[in-house]
Formats: sequence, C-alpha cells, structure tokens
Amino acid sequence: MNRMPRPEHMLVVDLSSGRMRREEIPPEFLRAYLGGRGLGVRLLRGRHTLSPFGPAMPLIFATGPLCGTPAPTSARLSVVSRSPLTGTVYDCSAGGRFAWRLRAAGLFAILVEGKSPRPVVLAVTSSGEELLAADNLWTKGVGETVRALSDRGSVAAIGPAGENAVLFSNIMMGEGNAVGRGGLGAVMGSKNLKAVAVDGDLRTPVADRERFDRARADVMRLFRASPVIFGELGISEYGTPALVDLMRQRRMAPTENFRRTVFEDSSAYSGPAIRAAYGAKKDGCFGCPIQCKKRASDGRSLPEYETVSHFGALNNISDLHTIVRSNNACNDLGMDTISAAATLSAWGEARGRFPSPEEIGPLLSDIAARRGEGDLLAEGSRRVAETLGRPGLSMSVKSLELPAYDPRGAYGMALAYVTSNRGGCHLRAYPISHEILRKPVASDRFSFSGKARMIKIAEDANAAVDSLVACKFAFFGASLEEYAELLAGVTGEDHTPQSMKEIGERVYLTERFYNAENGFTRADDDLPERFFTEAGSSGEGIEVPPIDRARFGAELTKYYRIRGLRDDGSFPDDGFLERQP
Amino acid sequence: MIAKYAEKLHRDRSVVTGRLGIAAQDDVMLSEGAPDLSRLAADVLSHLSCLGVVAAAPSLPFAEFLLRRAEAESIVPLDTETRTFLHDIPIVRRGKLAGNPAAAIAALLSKRKGVVAEGIGIVASGPVTLEQAYIHYSSVFHACHVKYLLDVLQDGFRLPGEEEAFRAFREERLRPPSAEELAFRPGPIETPEDVLAEVRAVGRYTVERGLVDSFFGNISYRVGDTIYISQTAASLDELAGCVDPVPTDNRSTTGITASSELLAHRRIYEATGARAILHGHPKFAVAMSMLCDVKDCPVKDCWKDCTRVRMLGDTPIVAGEIGAGGLAARVPPVIGGPGKAIVYGHGVFAIGKDGFGEAFRSMVDIENRCQEEYFRRLDTRAGGEKFKPSS
Repeated sequence: MNRMPRPEHMLVVDLSSGRMRREEIPPEFLRAYLGGRGLGVRLLRGRHTLSPFGPAMPLIFATGPLCGTPAPTSARLSVVSRSPLTGTVYDCSAGGRFAWRLRAAGLFAILVEGKSPRPVVLAVTSSGEELLAADNLWTKGVGETVRALSDRGSVAAIGPAGENAVLFSNIMMGEGNAVGRGGLGAVMGSKNLKAVAVDGDLRTPVADRERFDRARADVMRLFRASPVIFGELGISEYGTPALVDLMRQRRMAPTENFRRTVFEDSSAYSGPAIRAAYGAKKDGCFGCPIQCKKRASDGRSLPEYETVSHFGALNNISDLHTIVRSNNACNDLGMDTISAAATLSAWGEARGRFPSPEEIGPLLSDIAARRGEGDLLAEGSRRVAETLGRPGLSMSVKSLELPAYDPRGAYGMALAYVTSNRGGCHLRAYPISHEILRKPVASDRFSFSGKARMIKIAEDANAAVDSLVACKFAFFGASLEEYAELLAGVTGEDHTPQSMKEIGERVYLTERFYNAENGFTRADDDLPERFFTEAGSSGEGIEVPPIDRARFGAELTKYYRIRGLRDDGSFPDDGFLERQP
Repeated sequence: MIAKYAEKLHRDRSVVTGRLGIAAQDDVMLSEGAPDLSRLAADVLSHLSCLGVVAAAPSLPFAEFLLRRAEAESIVPLDTETRTFLHDIPIVRRGKLAGNPAAAIAALLSKRKGVVAEGIGIVASGPVTLEQAYIHYSSVFHACHVKYLLDVLQDGFRLPGEEEAFRAFREERLRPPSAEELAFRPGPIETPEDVLAEVRAVGRYTVERGLVDSFFGNISYRVGDTIYISQTAASLDELAGCVDPVPTDNRSTTGITASSELLAHRRIYEATGARAILHGHPKFAVAMSMLCDVKDCPVKDCWKDCTRVRMLGDTPIVAGEIGAGGLAARVPPVIGGPGKAIVYGHGVFAIGKDGFGEAFRSMVDIENRCQEEYFRRLDTRAGGEKFKPSS
C-alpha cells in the first residue's frame, strides 16, 4: 500500500463540460470545518441560494479526517447540497464501504457540478477518474446498477426515483446504506449522474500511533460498557429495531399518522420478531465493531427502526413481510423509507383509509415512476396534504417528514425537530439519547427545563461528529472526549471536545444563515398543530398530553438567545458569513 | 436542581460543609454556594459549552495529597470505573492558578470530566445535565479515595500532614457500613409491586450506607421468567420509575435501557438459582481487590486479563471488564457457593437466595473485612512489609 498524499485533495467534476481536476483543499477549511458535513457546508457557500435542480448547484461527497483509519465507526462520509424537498441546506451521513474506498483513492472529497448531456457514471481510482456512458443503466434499480459496476469498487447510485425527481429520493450505497431523507438522489439525477464508483489502495496515515491506539482502546471499552451498543438487547444484537419495544413501552410510537402513540401489534416487527422470522445476521459499515445493520439469511437487507415503525404503526400495518418488502422496494427504487411511509400515511388519513398491505408495493413503484397518484405522492407529505386541502395532515417540519419518535413523548425531541436545519430530523441533536436511552445520563422527557441549552450543545457536538465523520451510535457509549483524542492521534494536532463543539457551532450557524437567506424564519421552526391540540395515547401510568404551545414557544425563544440570535430566530446582523473562515 | 445536588453532596459527605459552589446555565447563568467557589464555578462554566459545573473542597484531603505527590500532570487511578469513564484526572498546580484560575481549569475541563486544582479542590463539568457534573465530581472523589488508599499502602506517607490527616480519617471519619436498623422483606417476593418497592428501598439503603460511588451500582430481583433490574445510569437512591422488567427469554428488547450489567445478572441467576442480586462499589473492597502479591506475572492488564480466582478470606476475586467485556463470564461460576464475589478494581456482587437481606449483609461484611484487612496490612507495612498494587 502507498501512503496518502498530503495535503488533502478533492476531485472537482464539471459534468456539463466533462472536465475533472484534483485540487488541494485549503488547509484552513479543514481546520475550521474538519470535513464531512462541515466541509460540504463551507464549499456550498456562495451557491447556497441556487435551485437544488440548477446545474450550478454542487453535490458534495466529503469524508472526514478519521476515515481510512481504524477509528471506530468512521468509515463514513457526508453528502451535502440543497434539498429539493425542504429547500434547506442539506447533508446526510452514510456508511458502508464507499467513504473508505474514496479515501483510498487519494481523495478527501468529490464536488460534482453541472449537468451531463447524457447519463454517466463517475469512476474514480487512485490513479485517475473517468466518466462512463450510463445510458444502459438509466431506469435500472439500484441493485442492478451496483452489480453492473461491481468490478469498479464501491458504488453510490440512484434508482428510478432519483432519475424521476422524487423529492425524497436517496443516493444508495452499494452495501445498502442510504444517503437519505432530503432528496439528494433527485439532485444527482438532475445532473444525469447515475452512479459514482470508487476504488483505491492508498493508506490514511496516523501521525501519533500510540495516542491513537490509546484513544481507540478507550472508545472500545466504552462501547463494551454501553447496554445500548453491546448489551444483549442492544443495537449490535438486534439493530435499531431494538427500539420498537421500548417506544411501545414509552407510549411514543407514532401510529396512524400520529393520531395515536401506541400500536398494539408492534411486537410483530420488533427486533426479536425480525430475528426469528429472517434469521437476522450482523452486518455493518467497513471496520465498524458495532455491526448494527442486519441481513436476512438470504442476504436481503433488513429494515431499520424508523422503517418498520412507519411502514408499520404509522400506516396501521402489522404484517412484517409487507414491511420488509417495502424496505427492499424503497432501497432498490432509491427512495427514503421514512418520507415514503409518512407521505402514504398522510395521504391515507386525508382519503379516510390507510393503504392496505397489498397496495403498498404498487404505490411505491408508482411514486418512483411518478405514475398516476404516485406523481403527487412523489412530492412528499406537505405538498400532498396541501394539494388535498388538508395541510394539517402533513406531519413534517420544514417539509421533512417526522421520524418515529412522537414529540409529545419527549420534549427535547419536540424542540430539536424544529431547530434542526434540515427539517424534522431526529439525528441533529438526538435527544432520544438522554430522554429515552439514558445516555450519557437521563433527562426528564416530559419537561422543557434546560432543554434549550441541551439541544444547542448537542446540535453543536453532532455537527462536529458529522464533520469527523463518525456514527451517532458511537456516542451511546463514547463521547467527543475520546474522539478528540482519536483526531489528535491522526492529525498530530491537539483537539478537545470544546474545540470540536466550537467547530460544530460554526457549522450549525452557517447552515442556519444559509436557510435564512433562503427565506426561512421562526415561522418555519414549528411543529404540526396536531401535537399542540391532540393528546397521545395515555395509559399504563403514562400521561401523554398535548404539548403546551406557550411553554414550547418560550423554550424556543430561550434557545435563540442561547444561540446568539434575535427572539424571532434571525441573525442580529448580515455579516455572519464574512466573519467565518 | 442546584439545591438538590448541593444537598446530595453534603449528605454523602464528599464536600467540606459550606465549601461548595455550583453553577448552571440555561439562557442565563445561575450559581449558588460559597461565594468564591460559586463564582469560580460560574467563571469556569462561562468558558465551556456545558450545562453545569461543580467546584468544591472535598471532605478528605486525598485528592490534594495525590496532586502534591504526583510527578506528572495527571492522576491515573487504576480502578475500572475510572479507567472506563474518566481515563485520568488532570491536575492544575497552584502556579498555574495565578491570574485567571477559571481559564486554567476550564482548559483542562475542555478535555476531561473533572480536575483537581491545588488549594481549591475538585472541579467537574456536566456537558449534558447538571447531574452529570455532580456525578463527575463524585467519581473523581471516589477514584482519588481508592487510589490514595493504595498509594499509602504502597509508598507510605510522604508529605507533611499526611499521616495526621489519614489518622483523623481512620479514627474520626470512617464509619464502617452496617445493615443495622434496616428492614428487608423476607423472600420470596412474588408480586411486581412488592418487588419494585423492595428494589427501591434496598437501592436507597445501598447509597445511604456508602456502598457506592455517587449513586452508581445496580440491583435486580427475579420473579419467574422476569428480571426486574435497575436502569443504566439510574440513581440507586431514586429508583422509582427506573426499574426495567426484562423477560429472561429475550422476547422483548424493552430492557435495552437496563443496567450495563444485565448480562452478568442473568448469568448469575442461571448459575445459582438466586432471586436477588446487589452490586455496589464499596471503596475498601475496590482497593483491596487490586492488591496482588504474585511476582513476575506475565499478565499486564490484570483488571481485564487475569484469569486467576484469588481469595480474600472466603470471597473470590475475579477480573473482567464492565458490560460486554468479560465480567459476566467470570463472576457467575464463582459466586454461587460463597454468595458474593469481588470484581477486580470494580466492586462487589452479592446474591440472596430469596431476598435482599442476605445480599446486603454480605456486601457490608465484605467491606468491613476489607477495611480490617487494609488497616492490618497498613499497620504491618509500618513494620516493614510492602504490598504492591498490580497494574
């Protein structure tokens, strides 16, 4: 193996002209933004107000400084652009093997701009890159596309949904991981880029091996001490569906488009049920010790918690095989499972009947093809509900469909949904970690007390995590304390949790500034009215009342103040970006 | 919240009365306690992206002695809790506290959870909640306590005032734990309501009698095919609503929030037929478990790799990491006969055939025996014999 060239480089691809060049990433960008989400957000500056489907809008694949090393859970990258679903700046972190192979090709990042006159595949190796004609792959599913490119390394591809501009289409990693939620598959499709394949043999250097190894041992010890990670009922054993029973017990599993918060039949798709039905085996991202992904004995990828809950409870479906088939269909069509299921659920409530198990498969195909009713459903729940004259039925924030944690059951989560820069996402501040999973400590899930600062700190910390790029699940055990040491070991430069949170704060505020320039205001930082007017499913000694709107608003104002924003959520001046590196 | 943790720190006797400052910030900074320490806590907190800071003079001078005895810039306790969660404890000497002590302390707290500041005491932060700052303070206090016991046994007293302070600790402060005046339900306990009530009561006893560091430890009771076990990061003195019922056949994963030692509890139940398990971190037992007189042993990481079963009186000592790391394999085979076992550098597991009374009294007995044995060795050491803590 050869050593990685330093400084770090990115490949800039202009699909309109077909020109490609490797250029050095300014070192000050890496110091100020680390990589991944942070680097992508920085590279987007100046083009953040362009249309997501405009040729000049970049689509950025950015790894992080730990990628390519044995740092646990770090074989990941972030994909950054502007979302056609939400209109916000958008990033998504994904694992698999793609990021690791991209680094091994001698690249820290790829920036794709322009629009190819015909479908192409970008093929990258450590010795060069080329654009391949992909007319034969256009219209093909993700699985067939990946198989066709299997001799070119790891593949990130879109399916028919991305080609047809479904607003919640994914970019799928060949290993089954998704760049999900915000429709970046459609951005890729708008550029006529069917897939990116990467391969290489370069090694990421570690500056201080002893320090790195010590930090890695600390991380692994914390993983082993974490019941959520390596506990016998944890995600390593059962994958994220380990949460199904817990969310049922906590009475916060969104059911029938969030009309209720308990689904009596949820045990049909719980972690143990999936293991029993499919002989689930451990699988996961390159080099990850957790192996939270699960595959059936026949090799099929098995669904995550959000997927089983939303194709299950949210649509009133208890048939596990329907849920697994829906997951596989979405993966092959290249669509986000959360938004697909939530959009079907909103549509179902609007028409007075949730889709039956038999209807789900054809509906998913119709969405990906924009055929019949699928054409409207491909627009996501907000546009569907508005078109049907029932805007209140879209359970979304900034047009991003909410995942499977009902905000009436976790008030930090309620606040975090609205402050998330990419819309209704659970992973930005991830308060489920302390409100439900008690990591690193427990907080009172039915209280707003202290939540404004908790959410702010967690958003900053997780922006740093997304810039490293590491997996959020690692932080059910470890903390930035150990990951700062890993980073110091790799780079040879000192980092601390505090310095990383400051980087995260810069990333978060930059994103918010971009969103503000795209017209987002405090009015967009709001939950659907249902959560303030309708109770969840109380019982078993747990009361799930509607959220107190006045208290929610007060905590949001507090959050803005902690962030240094005005009470209306705006920036106190227009010069924020100029002050950033 | 500030008042709650101030009261806890005083109640568990880990701070000098009145020498405590706590700061917490939401959209405004709040601080309470001794004026100098609350001001320091607030100043430190203003440098950090955290929820809370505790700054206090510990009720024992052991952390200060460790700082002054240390040649490096950190204290490195070798007990398992510290290895796992704190890693090491940075120290800041008086010279670096001149000028802007808050900045000097905050610089170290930006890397670790707690620091020892010369002439001030222990300062700890809580990144997510104020409770975390309390926990981290308490963990540093506990870690320094255990390490100092071992260091004194190994190296004797080195500094002026140490011997006198230690004598005062031994003769005036030390209260051997006891089970006296505590009421335990006779087993077997059959209904979930009774189990939960007893688990809450015994958890509280364990904290009140000083058998844990801060409030950590875990407790469980088995009824039929259900294990009722305290949740991870649960305060043993506040277990209402923090006990998970976990089916033994794993048909539900609700227990994903259960203690990290769930697997150990399950295996102990399988191996012994017991109904009750109590796990705590009594300091003398933790310290004594780390003493080994085997010379030239090839095992370097004794705390996790030692496969021997050593005996401390009639109590077996085994090694093993927390959680999925090995403890769950090594404790069950040895605990059935004696009804108790010590995990190297970690704490005590004790079982009850039917109820918690037996387990609690076993833990008390172990700690008292370890205390007696510790002072016997210390007194013997004064006569010239040394015992070397293993790594």
